[in-house]
Amino acid sequence: MRTSRLGSVAAFGVAASLVLSGCGVGGGSGGGDSQQTVSSAGSLSGSIAFQTWSLKNATFTPYFTSLIKAFEKLHPGTAINWIDQPGANYPDKVTSQVTGDSLPDVVNLPPDIAHTVAKTGDLLDLTKNDPSIAQTYVASGLSAYEYKDTGTGGDSFAFPWYLGTDVNYWNKAMLAKDGLSTTDLPTSLDQLIADAKIMHDKSGGKDYLMSRAPGLMDFANAGAPLLDSAGTAFAFNTPAAVKVLQQYTAAYQAGYLPSNVLTSTYEGNSALFLKQEVAWTTGGGNYIQSTEQTNPSLVSSIVPSAAIGTPPLYVQGISVSSKSRNLPLALAFAEYVTNSANQAAFIQLAQGFEPGTKDASTLAATNDVGMQAQASAIAEKDVENGVNFTPPIWTSAMDTILNQQIALAMTGKESAKTALDNVVTQANALLGQ
Amino acid sequence: MKAHRWYTPWLLVVPALAFLGAFSLWPAINTLLLSFTNVHTLTGGRFIGAANYTRLWHDPQLWDAIINTLLYMAVCVPLLTFLPLLLAMLVQRTLPFMGFFRTVFYFPVIASAVTVALIWQWLLDDRGLVNDLATEVGVVHKAVPFLEDRWLLLFSAIALTVWKGLGYYMVLYLSALGNVRRELHEAAAVDGAGGVRRFWHVTLPGVRGTTLLVSILIGVSAMRVFTELYILGGSTGGIGGQDVSLVFLIEQYGSGFDGQLGYASALSVLLFVLTAVPLIVLARLNRRNEG
Repeated sequence: MRTSRLGSVAAFGVAASLVLSGCGVGGGSGGGDSQQTVSSAGSLSGSIAFQTWSLKNATFTPYFTSLIKAFEKLHPGTAINWIDQPGANYPDKVTSQVTGDSLPDVVNLPPDIAHTVAKTGDLLDLTKNDPSIAQTYVASGLSAYEYKDTGTGGDSFAFPWYLGTDVNYWNKAMLAKDGLSTTDLPTSLDQLIADAKIMHDKSGGKDYLMSRAPGLMDFANAGAPLLDSAGTAFAFNTPAAVKVLQQYTAAYQAGYLPSNVLTSTYEGNSALFLKQEVAWTTGGGNYIQSTEQTNPSLVSSIVPSAAIGTPPLYVQGISVSSKSRNLPLALAFAEYVTNSANQAAFIQLAQGFEPGTKDASTLAATNDVGMQAQASAIAEKDVENGVNFTPPIWTSAMDTILNQQIALAMTGKESAKTALDNVVTQANALLGQ
Repeated sequence: MKAHRWYTPWLLVVPALAFLGAFSLWPAINTLLLSFTNVHTLTGGRFIGAANYTRLWHDPQLWDAIINTLLYMAVCVPLLTFLPLLLAMLVQRTLPFMGFFRTVFYFPVIASAVTVALIWQWLLDDRGLVNDLATEVGVVHKAVPFLEDRWLLLFSAIALTVWKGLGYYMVLYLSALGNVRRELHEAAAVDGAGGVRRFWHVTLPGVRGTTLLVSILIGVSAMRVFTELYILGGSTGGIGGQDVSLVFLIEQYGSGFDGQLGYASALSVLLFVLTAVPLIVLARLNRRNEG
């Protein structure tokens, strides 16, 4: 019948659109001009928005309130509207701000998010607008915001703000119980795996030392260059990286790592360390202090040591939106937030982190005592030597591929060489798409 | 009585049409258009012809996703079409505690899919309740790798979907069974038909419309499976990403600030085509039966 056929077609069309629209996706945004020249030297006026990431709390709110008041007092007629975004889904929030042309004038961005935003031209090139940037800020922090695939070369898209690293933390009670030294701690992957075997054998497979799969940092520390000489393609499928993956695979298959490190029930080495199921974790410089809140009874058993190999560097920076309607004020405020005095004051509150300016660490006094003082000293040294291992062109999709291939290798479904070749091939393919 | 103007019916359906157009038809057309571009979350948007569709053929994960998704549908549709019917026939009887059992069977429906999947994840973990019990009883000597083995993880997710969906479809069948006239059963019984024959010749034809509706609903939702696999298999889609579904891939490629929206749109179009084919077959089968 004609009516029922028409009805069927209409119903099918609606069902079709529902299925498709359920998967519907949006589009990109128009770019800004990152290469504008801005001067913050003149008289400032008007208002801007300043966005931080998960810093509105009892510890930091008073700091930002007084920081903003002091700036407004210094520059009468200006107003800073402080916004803080919650910790979860920050990349999505920034994405929607960029696509909606509502990126705040001054915004706290980590290097990976800043890279994506910089590619749209929405971040101001700060090297061009702050001639003393290289003299003021630490080189490791600045380099995290220098991207080869965007801008004109030699640009930096954020003022380094606070820097973190990984310190090793060991459970000396577990080490001692399983016959391992609490002072002669592993300083290489070989030693780590050897100690993991001892712990496994002594405890009958109940205690673990290691509890994570390898990542880019491990390959880089083994001597594998993550990028090719031009810095435009991945090239870490080297024999050195293959050896690291083979070592982890052998350790996993021998039972030296918890069996679920590759599955969805893996809680992370820090959580397992807090539960005293593993004797080694890495964490920020303030890990001992934060453990006092989560597991006070564990604190007396924790011993810190320097990271194995070159320590990683985690950077937070302050960027300026190139689409800001008040660029002079935005630039001035970004410089103010990240000047040495303010960074020193901030670091007093952000225990375990280091400032992004060269002379702020000398201004920052520390009240740490005991093992926390030892951990803070290690963190300070590690930040100086640290490297931001993750190349800016590395994306979350590539990270998924890496984790998938590492899991295939560690479960013996693929050789370490094949797995790393696959990661490099697929990641390089993604670069061109 | 005054006659309606010709446009009165259209005027009445305009709000619904506008809603459908804005929130269903336009996003669908937009998805189709984007599938021919290289748009990313923040950049791109250039027309690239059928490059995204060509890329589909070379995507190493796509075949896993298609196999998993079709298998999901192939197992879920028969199980969730007939098990709830049997359950509905069971709880329809007036026996003691049936109200309690109806509630128990319906309970998983009201629980959040994420919560239920997390509970299953804990149950099926290497050191979870299922493996602990199986090891204690001596059924197995080492933990069953429910969350590590590709097929065990997939079938665990299917079991979870079936368990969670039973109550919902049971309620639909309860309503349909109420419309099957008792006299038909009595007449068949008088004619000597047993329970099985009455089921085939009275009950099943009586709920055929509901059966078709249920199987279409399950088919579409099985093709869009995501939560169960995401929670049980993690964000990588199980070991090596072997337990991804099509929607999983769409999420993987399309989300985040570096999302490849053009390619994710091409995957969405593929998902639509794969969903539409069995729907058309089911609709044709139904029409033939009606004819």
